Amino acid sequence: MESNPGTTETRSNLTASDGGQVTAFESLQFTDEIHRLILAPTTINASSFTALVELPPPQAVELLHSPDSTKFIAAKPPNVEDFKGSFRFPSNTSLIEPDARFSVFSGEANNGNENRDSPVSKILNSNLEKAVKSEPAETESAQPLVSDPPVEKRRIKRKGRENKVKGSTKKSKTAVNESSEDAEKLPYVHVRARRGQATDSHSLAERARREKINARMKFLQELVPGCNKISGTALVLDEIINHVQSLQRQVEFLSMRLAAVNPRIDFNLDSVFTSESGSLMDSNFPGLVMPVMWPEVQGDGHRQQYQHQWNSDALQQPVWGREVHNNYITPEKSLLTYDSSANSVTLQANQLKMEL
Amino acid sequence: MRPHSSLKQEFLKKWIMGLQRCSFSKKNMSILERRKTIKFSADIAMASARNGTTCWSRALISNASKDGSNNHHLVKQMLGPESNRPTVAANIAPTRRALVCKKIVKQSRRIRRRRRKCVATSSIAKHLVRKRTQILKSLIPGGELMKIRLIEETLDYIASLIVQVDVMRSLARASEP
Repeated sequence: MESNPGTTETRSNLTASDGGQVTAFESLQFTDEIHRLILAPTTINASSFTALVELPPPQAVELLHSPDSTKFIAAKPPNVEDFKGSFRFPSNTSLIEPDARFSVFSGEANNGNENRDSPVSKILNSNLEKAVKSEPAETESAQPLVSDPPVEKRRIKRKGRENKVKGSTKKSKTAVNESSEDAEKLPYVHVRARRGQATDSHSLAERARREKINARMKFLQELVPGCNKISGTALVLDEIINHVQSLQRQVEFLSMRLAAVNPRIDFNLDSVFTSESGSLMDSNFPGLVMPVMWPEVQGDGHRQQYQHQWNSDALQQPVWGREVHNNYITPEKSLLTYDSSANSVTLQANQLKMEL
Repeated sequence: MRPHSSLKQEFLKKWIMGLQRCSFSKKNMSILERRKTIKFSADIAMASARNGTTCWSRALISNASKDGSNNHHLVKQMLGPESNRPTVAANIAPTRRALVCKKIVKQSRRIRRRRRKCVATSSIAKHLVRKRTQILKSLIPGGELMKIRLIEETLDYIASLIVQVDVMRSLARASEP
């Protein structure tokens, strides 16, 4: 998780600009960030989740909290366009070049890109993806070309390739390959051949696709622990499969553990909260429960003991907001301490009603 | 640690709502039933936290809300008021799928022609990778449907699973004295 000032500035600029402004300046900064795998920041809810993964915590928090609610709500419902936009991501990555030629090229491209449809580009820019136009001449009405800066940066490592990828480019291998040809929407992708490499259009397209996949695999490597030292797609996929399986098994095990916690928790939850279901099912839930919790705690030393335990638990989890932990966990745990005596249950219900 | 805090909050909120709406009123649920319900509600909460932006979440919800499944009513309770429950079919544009399938067929034919010229090692590598992607597809909900965005979906799914595990683990740790 690296960040450098250039990218930070980029990111802050990107977050600031909300109006579908393609990050033209970003392409010019690629020359400085060849070796960085910096993901574009984005909201969690956006489809480019990879950004949040690699983002350093403070910047990520800033980005998550500043646009998160607004962008999440304001973003259009997932429609075909949105998917097309993010779907086009792989094909555009081959456009990024650090060359002077490229910067000029992308400069033109970005200028052209800025005139794109604002709604779609707004969604895509909420993902903070860079839009690079493949053909300056071509004007896309619907789909701006976007690609992740980190993937682009990876491409910068190669010297400069321009390739024309037509719609029906050759598929090199597995179904994992992104079909860089959303041909129905994508214009041509210009990549220049490297020195000493075949200039066959097929092999160039194949190479472009392979690079896209390798870029994705790098993201996965950074997400799955212990994958950084493994080279080779098959082994990384092995690790990913193991990780997914282990996570799924953990979920099952934890759900079994939670189910075994206390049979009474269900009863209490149900009896208390269904009575207040209408009002509790909103964002005021923590606020409502919080005041309820404190009077109970004072009345019972045993419950106070639980409270301290929960507090210490919350402190051990720096990532999770402590207030969230308290708000959500403690009411259930306070219910745990209750015997299913009608008094305590009705007391809590009454307190909840009072708060409302 | 990764900045998942807002996602965690959202997941937890939805999960608790789901748990409350589930049929927990029966006190005589066996532990296995309860575990299934907990896991199921957690999965639905995690998928709904994505709000239909990812394929795996839509596939998960659509699988859960099939009429024939046992937990259809649970899903309805959890997501019922929301009329915009995503369906899998709506999000994979059929035209795009058809085009993708055609392209894949064309390219596979071309590959077959060229494969005889290929070096053996590369074809072996491709075969290995293909096997593993098939396994990965079987793991991820709705994986069979996406040929194109498999890695992206996998990344998102892994992130969601990590959030889910963290939330459940802290809940379990807090609830056990």
